[in-house]
Amino acid sequence: MSGQGKGIWDKLENIPREVLYGILLVVFVIPMLFPLGLPVPISANVRKWYATIDALPPGSVVMMDFGYSGGGEPELGPMAVAVYNHLFKKEGIKVISMSTSIEGPQLWDKAIAEIRPEQSYGAQYGVDYINIGYIAGTETAMAAVGKDLRATTSTDYKGNPLSQYPIMDGIVDATSFDLLIVYTTGGDQSEGWVRQWYTVYGTPYLCSVLAMMIPTMLPYQNAGQIVAVTSGAMAGQMELLVNVPARGIKSADVITLTHLLCVVYVAIGNIAYFAKKAQGGK
Amino acid sequence: MELNLVIQIWMAAIFTIWIYSIAFRDNDFFKFAEYTFVGAAAGHSLVYGIENLRRYGWDNLMGGAYLYVVVFLLGILLYSRYHPQYFWVSRYPLSVMVGLGIGLSMRAVVTAEFIAQIKSTAAVQILGVTDPIKLVSNIIFIVLVVTTVYFFLFTFPKAHEGGLGIIPKIARYGMMAAFSYSFANTVLSRYNMIFGRLDYIYNQWLPLPGAIIAFPIVLILLVYAMLPPEKRPWPKKA
Repeated sequence: MSGQGKGIWDKLENIPREVLYGILLVVFVIPMLFPLGLPVPISANVRKWYATIDALPPGSVVMMDFGYSGGGEPELGPMAVAVYNHLFKKEGIKVISMSTSIEGPQLWDKAIAEIRPEQSYGAQYGVDYINIGYIAGTETAMAAVGKDLRATTSTDYKGNPLSQYPIMDGIVDATSFDLLIVYTTGGDQSEGWVRQWYTVYGTPYLCSVLAMMIPTMLPYQNAGQIVAVTSGAMAGQMELLVNVPARGIKSADVITLTHLLCVVYVAIGNIAYFAKKAQGGK
Repeated sequence: MELNLVIQIWMAAIFTIWIYSIAFRDNDFFKFAEYTFVGAAAGHSLVYGIENLRRYGWDNLMGGAYLYVVVFLLGILLYSRYHPQYFWVSRYPLSVMVGLGIGLSMRAVVTAEFIAQIKSTAAVQILGVTDPIKLVSNIIFIVLVVTTVYFFLFTFPKAHEGGLGIIPKIARYGMMAAFSYSFANTVLSRYNMIFGRLDYIYNQWLPLPGAIIAFPIVLILLVYAMLPPEKRPWPKKA
């Protein structure tokens, strides 16, 4: 009897990964095919982020860093799109984007293709928004742009002179910006902006990172160096607030169910471990 | 839809399936996708590297900023590390890079990483807090900060024995809770990434003509590639 029981716990502790991933895949696919429409509560940080952008007066200039890589796009892309939609909905906000990630310009293109600012909001490239491209050096890039943007780069990401774009009139350094928004998959970037912009110039800073980076970034928010930290996984909440449902909200059902499965996996592992221990196993 | 976009979507979808197949078993399709990704990433970085040289260095040099000659020279010297006799020369440009990086981050690191964080930690209150959840949270925060600092500062054995042993024990539990919070968030990130790719396959690739037929073929070939060579029905070894 005891031997048979021990066998069961052993099997439960060593379920083949093919089985675990197979079940996970099924749990991913089911809500994609049949959406459940589970409720999406909006967290305090997403509300704070939204309120910060909402409070921007017309004529404000926002610096946005597309500092994420292709791997982080599924998480941070929807957040970037939702926030861009919010900025375009507001009157008279100028958005200047740059990238501290080498893949940033392509991912910016992808986000803009989703938003379609010209068709959806009548926004014009070079007048309401612009991308000054990838600027190498990570923290040195942030410092250089903060000190003198024109000396760092004289062209946009297409190689056209910045002087031909009206949006760049009066843009000199970090003090020309009313808000800094950063999406990043790298700790060097998210913390670097605190050091090079918030600490030196006091620019209000909103930061969106991978969920796994949240514990590292929350102390900066608690210390008042960042207005609000969100993870890309909260994109659905932002889409609800901005009223532009897209990829983020679609992931809500899937993320909820897969996490429930993860909890079940953890519970099975622990039950098997303690049951074996109770039977005198190791 | 433009042909180049169609090709892009087909490649992206099939490579996604090949890459995620490693979760089940190693196979040649995964290896092919992995090496292609590494090669493409290296090529992309090289192109951007050359573009950066032109954008930030060469254009300035040609524009009359002759001091950039020094920058180019330092850059070339970095490659001396491949020379068995003159490898030491590469230390000079490296020291300039490291010095520049440290100097730049140090100007703000004391304020951003130490003073602001210590001020914020010291400002946590117990007295006068009316919200019971906030009060409990603040008490836990203070206890864990004190015990964790004790854990790392007082490392001599006697500080971790007897009655004092409770302090590092609380710190260990606190740290484990923090690590598990990080781990849970990591799982959330990874699941989001998987969802992003599945959503791409479902909404971008499968609606394309022929994709619904190609999808099972890709899966069958993958399963076949995962079989050990001796178990494959074809080709038979002579």
